[in-house]
Amino acid sequence: MTAGPFTIALAGNPNVGKSTLFNALTGSRQHVGNWPGKTVEKKEGRTTINGRDIVVVDLPGTYSLAAHSVEEIIARDFIICERPQVIIVVVDAANLERNLYLACQILELETPAVLALNMSDEAHKRGVHLDPQALSAALGGIPVVETVGSRGIGLDALKAAIQTALAGSSQPFHLAYDALIEAGIARLAARIGAYPELTAVYPARWLALKLLEADTGIVAQLEREYPALIGAARTIAQNIAETLGDELEILIADQRYQFIGSVISASVTRTGRAQITPSERIDTILTHRIWGIPLFLALMWVVFQFTANVSAPFVDWIDGVISGPITRWASTLLTALGLGGSWVQSLVTDGIIAGVGGVLVFIPVLTFLYLAIALLEDSGYMARAAFIMDRVMRILGLHGKSFLPLLIGFGCTVPAIYATRTLEHEQDRKLTGFLATFMSCGARLPVYVVFASLFFGARAGNLIFALYLLGIVVAFVTGWIMKHLIYRGQPPHPFVMELPPYRLPTLSSVLRTIRGRIQEFVQRAFTIILACSVIIWLLMALPATLDWRDFNQVSISDSWFGAISGVAAPAFAPAGFGQPEAAGVLLSGFIAKEVIIGTISQIYGGETADEADSSTPSTLADDLREIVYTFGQAAVLTAQEAINILPRTANLLPGVDLPEANFLPLEAETDAASGQMNQALTQAFTPLSAVAFTVFVLLYVPCLTALTAMRLEFGVRWMLYQVVYTAAVAWVGAVAVYQGGLLLGLGGG
Amino acid sequence: MNTSRTLDHLMPGQTARVRRVGSAGALRRRLLDMGLVRGAEIEMLKRAPLGDPIEYRVRGYHLSLRQAEARMIEIEA
Ligand SMILES: Nc1nc2c(ncn2[C@@H]2O[C@H](COP(=O)(O)OP(=O)(O)O)[C@@H](O)[C@H]2O)c(=O)[nH]1
Ligand SMILES: [Mg+2]
Repeated sequence: MTAGPFTIALAGNPNVGKSTLFNALTGSRQHVGNWPGKTVEKKEGRTTINGRDIVVVDLPGTYSLAAHSVEEIIARDFIICERPQVIIVVVDAANLERNLYLACQILELETPAVLALNMSDEAHKRGVHLDPQALSAALGGIPVVETVGSRGIGLDALKAAIQTALAGSSQPFHLAYDALIEAGIARLAARIGAYPELTAVYPARWLALKLLEADTGIVAQLEREYPALIGAARTIAQNIAETLGDELEILIADQRYQFIGSVISASVTRTGRAQITPSERIDTILTHRIWGIPLFLALMWVVFQFTANVSAPFVDWIDGVISGPITRWASTLLTALGLGGSWVQSLVTDGIIAGVGGVLVFIPVLTFLYLAIALLEDSGYMARAAFIMDRVMRILGLHGKSFLPLLIGFGCTVPAIYATRTLEHEQDRKLTGFLATFMSCGARLPVYVVFASLFFGARAGNLIFALYLLGIVVAFVTGWIMKHLIYRGQPPHPFVMELPPYRLPTLSSVLRTIRGRIQEFVQRAFTIILACSVIIWLLMALPATLDWRDFNQVSISDSWFGAISGVAAPAFAPAGFGQPEAAGVLLSGFIAKEVIIGTISQIYGGETADEADSSTPSTLADDLREIVYTFGQAAVLTAQEAINILPRTANLLPGVDLPEANFLPLEAETDAASGQMNQALTQAFTPLSAVAFTVFVLLYVPCLTALTAMRLEFGVRWMLYQVVYTAAVAWVGAVAVYQGGLLLGLGGG
Repeated sequence: MNTSRTLDHLMPGQTARVRRVGSAGALRRRLLDMGLVRGAEIEMLKRAPLGDPIEYRVRGYHLSLRQAEARMIEIEA
């Protein structure tokens, strides 16, 4: 045997326990990253077998080596191109037939493999008894072991089997097809033999089979360089198809399943009659003709509450700790170094620390998002959600699973974009993310509230409701345009979806998912957001006059930031808000929608930036006490928000008025500057231009973090499309509102 | 009896055997991979609350197909 690390991979259908076995094999010696260039999690770990260090890779679930989704393509490419030394084919012992289909395809690759009959506990419970020896014999002698991944049963046997497979004793597995097909395979394999560079990578028989099946991946890969081979394969396949009266793709799939049928009858016995499983009983309620939809909506509502409200106390806590104690400590430290009040201090506190904070505040939001998603996916409900909503989402050219990301968009666009990962196909993910930005996020609401209550008083609610509705309408129109103009003529992705049995999610797997995803977000978003934060700081510190003596001493309106706003301002004149101040506010909203109100009060209210607490000196002990105290407060408030989901949901029903828990009555924030700000706003805006402004805020470019998330998930190009499209739609929308209003004579006042 | 009945015509609880998977391309590949080959026994379980997609049991697991996809699958009458 050669030295150096061996790689083994876990492959199998989705939900068969691959990750569970992976965790059992590697324990804490694992690393979660991303597949190169893809937004799919790559889990790699190490295990020791007989004193030898072995790399273990957990592959995404796939039903076949003819890959469809992003995940499947990754699994397939890894198996075919990387050729791990041993593949552990994990199958669900309780659902052997379809699982063995992938197993056969992998065995045909002639790579050493081990068959793990996982979920053998469930199989026994259902009266399915397997004979591993008979199964092994029927599959060409590969090692077969029974395992129960969730309880760590069969791990030693599995390791021993890997050892056996590494030794490479079993002979290559050949599934015997119809004589005519076999003759075709032999003829094509002989031709393939003439290309040693191909046979060095692929077994000739396997490649012949794939070419006869007209496997799109392999054909695309070889088409350019080996046209003669592809042509020969086509001719042979056509001849066979004419004789046997069906296409080879169909015949080969047919015969694989026939073979599997014979394997099963030789190795599986069933006792007792098939009964209705508990999972099926649960399903009769959750996908019930009448109750299915209300239950679905209620569950989605709870998920939304989790990401939008239950996460809020800890968002505020992180925000408070960073803008309070941490900033103070940095200032104190810099002052001690003689840099107090200098531009260095400003860079550190307003640029760097603010940027770091901008990433960290998303951790609570994403934690609750991933908690909800992990529970929905691990329990098996996510597939039902798609089953229930598909009919509606299809109108937009989307998948049933698109509903959740869109809903989450009403809380925040960033988790909405990450929630698109539950979708299988890249195009669905991109389109869903694209539309999610039109779901008016929570940070935009305060802007509507300020303008609506100022200009419309008691009728403010109508404007706010209309804005939310407008966002949904724009998303619908955009989805419709994409479906009918851009993706026109492309066949939709097959929906064909397994509805897996319901299972109780395990805490450890849920926690692992959350930890892995959060770690990934922080690692990848950090540098981008930090860099942007520093750039924006620079724009605000650089005087428009380019006079370096004024560096970091200018007011916003005299900085580059102000200069850019001034240049951009006339573009908004047709929408009724052509003042540089309004442009400055919108520009700041690009950094984060949360800061719009702050900037408005700064620019229109004449309030200087929040320097309130820097005047009160505090000791380190005070700060630490404050951090701990506010943490406890946040924990209590989180619990309170979670509890309040119930009364809040019930109170949506007419005639219900349950009290909400209120453990920590908070005093309402009073804002001294708001009077002055309101006056300035009523002078700068008319009711009509205020509506146009809020329409613009609803529709325009998502914030920096959302764009960063889009860049990371969907690529730069797609992110730029989003910027251009949202900017254009927002401008057109705001101008249409303003000019339309003028035409209708609503401009007065 | 109608000779080319398709899968979308099954009522809840009815069982049939697949005769042929029509269609082509990625959809057919997928259907074949999921075990819908000639002779496979398939039982219609229920429709989604909004009438589409449809849930079936095939080879011991549950599969959901859009009506348009089920229409591609011919069943033995
Ligand atoms: N009853 C039972 N459940 C299992 C077994 N192995 C895994 N599970 C559960 O099956 C679910 C899916 O497992 P997971 O490892 O995520 O599957 P993957 O999609 O193949 O990675 C999880 O809830 C596991 O706890 C097993 O052997 N028996
Ligand atoms: Mg997994």
